[in-house]
Amino acid sequence: MFSEITRQQFRRFRSIRRAWISFWILVGAYVLSLFSEHLANDRPLVMRYNGGTYFPTVKFYSAETFGGRYRTEADYLALEQSPEFLAKGGWMLFPIIKSDPLRNYLKEEGSPPHAPSARHWLGTDDSARDVAARLLYGFRLSMSFALTLAILGAVVGVIVGGLQGYAGGWFDLAGQRIIEIWSALPFLYVVILIGSIYGQTFGVLLFVFLLFEWIGLSYYMRGEFYRLKNQTFTQAAQALGAGKFRILYRHILPNAMVPVITLFPFMLIGGISSLTALDFLGFGLPPPTPSWGEMLQQGLKYLYAPWLAFSSVLALFTTLLLASFVGEGARAAFDPRSSNAIR
Amino acid sequence: MPSAEPAPAAPPLLQVNGLTIRFGEHTAVDGISFRLGKGETLAVVGESGSGKSVSALALTRLLPPPPACRLGGEILLGDRDILKLDEPALHRIRGKEIAYIFQEPSSSLNPLFTIGAQIAEAIRLHRPDVKNPVAEILRVLDLVGIRDPEKRHRDYPHQLSGGMQQRVMIAMALVCQPKILVADEPTTALDVTIQAQIIDLLRDLKQKLGMSVLMITHNFGIVHGFADRVIVMFRGKIVEEGPTEVILRQPQHPYTKALISCIPRLGQRQERLVTIDYSTLVP
Repeated sequence: MFSEITRQQFRRFRSIRRAWISFWILVGAYVLSLFSEHLANDRPLVMRYNGGTYFPTVKFYSAETFGGRYRTEADYLALEQSPEFLAKGGWMLFPIIKSDPLRNYLKEEGSPPHAPSARHWLGTDDSARDVAARLLYGFRLSMSFALTLAILGAVVGVIVGGLQGYAGGWFDLAGQRIIEIWSALPFLYVVILIGSIYGQTFGVLLFVFLLFEWIGLSYYMRGEFYRLKNQTFTQAAQALGAGKFRILYRHILPNAMVPVITLFPFMLIGGISSLTALDFLGFGLPPPTPSWGEMLQQGLKYLYAPWLAFSSVLALFTTLLLASFVGEGARAAFDPRSSNAIR
Repeated sequence: MPSAEPAPAAPPLLQVNGLTIRFGEHTAVDGISFRLGKGETLAVVGESGSGKSVSALALTRLLPPPPACRLGGEILLGDRDILKLDEPALHRIRGKEIAYIFQEPSSSLNPLFTIGAQIAEAIRLHRPDVKNPVAEILRVLDLVGIRDPEKRHRDYPHQLSGGMQQRVMIAMALVCQPKILVADEPTTALDVTIQAQIIDLLRDLKQKLGMSVLMITHNFGIVHGFADRVIVMFRGKIVEEGPTEVILRQPQHPYTKALISCIPRLGQRQERLVTIDYSTLVP
């Protein structure tokens, strides 16, 4: 599957410990965050009641199930305390973070934002929502958004840049000018316009970001394809009677993948930070979506509640730093031109 | 244009008539004609820029498409004029009927695939009927003198020496059993002992397989004992043509004389290397 050179590059990447460790921390954190419902939730993971076993994080149970009056979802936090529940052998195991990111915990003492406590480890925000739970869900959201964006952006960038570099001539020239005009469009206005017409949903935002995401990579791919199509081995393949398509996908494309790998972590960083920036300005995902930008904004608004700013800034900083380490390592491992001094 | 031998009775494998190659305003090749018979070895000799390499590439139209490069004349392969064929027909000729080996073996191989995979690609393109490609790969690698092909066919290009890489290129060219092998300065990038090995190999294979060879070179030294006939090109024109022995013994054109006198000879004390005085050659 992978060639010797690629394997060598992977080995080199692995030998750059900082990048390798950062890579696995990020991957691990993201995989964990995919199970956020079982890590931060105010529904118990497992509960026993009246001889039966229930899994409320996976399945919906109405209040009637546990002796309540209504068919709406059971209020597990209240149930945990009720004497009837305990009398019927009730028992609950909650996730690590015993809060839902969207729920307002107004029963706490004092007024929100609440300071960190044993109940809410990182405190609550101005609507009394648990900061730790929101950070976790926000991480999943940011990473999913940035990953999808980077993957789609890379695909578009490779296709556009590759075609330009391979075709050359007037197609390349026209393409370059169009891209220059395109990249001069004011991104923020486009987001505000399209967002206000079609609503600020995950999909719409992804689409608008994607309109601009591919441009950076397309420059690199154009250069790579331009260089590779004049390499002797592509000419040798041509002399062997290989068709255009075959030369493109077998001889040029695999040899042009280095910029994609080295740029990918930085595209990821770009995706996370621009979504956060947009949320911070209020043009991103609408409330009450747990997003880091919105949390940063609250941090700025309630400077007397430093846990808000501190936790969100630290989370953002750590994520971007780890991704930068990965990117730096990938560049050192895959780019033959850069030195291998980073260890 | 002097022609030293009578026309052969059988129609030649390849007949080039008045081939002209223009890059924009510049005429790189100006109306050259030659033919290549079955099993014959023809050497095209000339210095850099004399038009020998583009002529070789033009044989299967491996040059940029029209606005950049215009071709004139005709190139007859059997009864087909290559200049009039469409792309799919050209793909079937390239590699299958006319195969190439190039000057720089190290960059002629795709660095990401094993040499076996690259020979397999040639088989897949032109010989889809081959049932056991691996056996075929091992056969050609053995044919071009690569020891231990069972192990070697899994090697990547960078694991081979320049001479080995050129042998692989020759194997790739031969696996489709072409009628004509175009060798474009196949030894220029190699050191002298390897040059001799590759030339010996080509001579050997040519006799074994009975194919025609068009050898492009600037080095008269490797023409002797290898080519049946020689064409000397200068500034896009053929200035001399004839059997190798005749050309080497009695060169007629001053440029040919000058080229031959440039070959350093063993045991000859020479203070300075001979250079060509162009003022007497260019009208």
